[in-house]
Amino acid sequence: MTGPAADPLDPRDPRDPFDAYAAELAAALHGPARAKARLVEEIRGGLADTADAHAERGGPYPDAIRAAVREFGTVEELVPSCQRELTLAQARHTARAVALTAPFLIACWYLSVAPAADPAGSVPRTAQLLAAHLAGVAIGATLLSAATLAVTGTLARRLPTPPRLPLLVAWTGTTAGVAMAVTTLALAVASALATNWPLLACAGALAAASHAIVATSARACRRCARLPVSRTARTA
Amino acid sequence: MKADAVRGHLDGLLLAVLEQGPLHGYAIIAAVQHRSGGVLELRTGTIYPALQRLERLGLLSSSWESSGERRRRCYALTEAGRHTLAGERTAWSEFTAAIGSVLNPTTPPPGLAT
Repeated sequence: MTGPAADPLDPRDPRDPFDAYAAELAAALHGPARAKARLVEEIRGGLADTADAHAERGGPYPDAIRAAVREFGTVEELVPSCQRELTLAQARHTARAVALTAPFLIACWYLSVAPAADPAGSVPRTAQLLAAHLAGVAIGATLLSAATLAVTGTLARRLPTPPRLPLLVAWTGTTAGVAMAVTTLALAVASALATNWPLLACAGALAAASHAIVATSARACRRCARLPVSRTARTA
Repeated sequence: MKADAVRGHLDGLLLAVLEQGPLHGYAIIAAVQHRSGGVLELRTGTIYPALQRLERLGLLSSSWESSGERRRRCYALTEAGRHTLAGERTAWSEFTAAIGSVLNPTTPPPGLAT
């Protein structure tokens, strides 16, 4: 996962030593871009503050940087605890994407196959049955995602977070993504057959957009869930 | 005191140093080391994900503050954080009293002290 530990004073590296440390940390971590950027920026600033504090006590600045890295921890030492938080952030991101898009998908299906929307009964019976099954998947994924957001949020003060939860969320997101892809296809076919095709085509386009969001987030979550993390949240 | 001994108490330490007011990451590290008389050895880089975790749990809030060219994330204790800190203090008092009564048999057990 990570290469050799960063040497912020490598004379062959023309970069600022703090930038080099931050770049190596950023390359080793995976998770939502915003959360990762924030964590790396905070750590870079903290390392610079630590080096400044050592320099104020006297001695050359390169020695202060070495002392700061020794006190702070190498990139390899920091990655497991940082990755743990980023993996949970990615799981929450995926859960939020599923929780927001899956109910919307159910609503789209309902509007599309409801008698009011399809007075001529032109939507095939097979499509309606498929809708019922996909709605079941969407409801299950939504409930699990909502539970994930709760147990990784304020409820985590009282309940331990299951270590395999990110993997479960990743596969829930993947399943929801597949259901959205099937929905897109089914709505595209149904719109060709139904009298109210503009409504079905709109619903299909929204299902395609939902699929793109959820499938991308679920793929990132699967990757994060495979990475090694620190066993405990309370590391020092 | 080695980092292994500090593990498990990190949340309480971080919440305690923020009780007096908001601080940024390095100031939190400096406050823990100052208040422990330099006895506690922390792998200080791991403080940052720990602070983000406490924020996720709703125990801290944070915002960016600029100081010259450097931006720092400042953390403040929330009301839930104050309650949790009170709970950590109580649990620590009970723990040290129980261990103390075993290590030092002349001290009466906390449950029997009248």
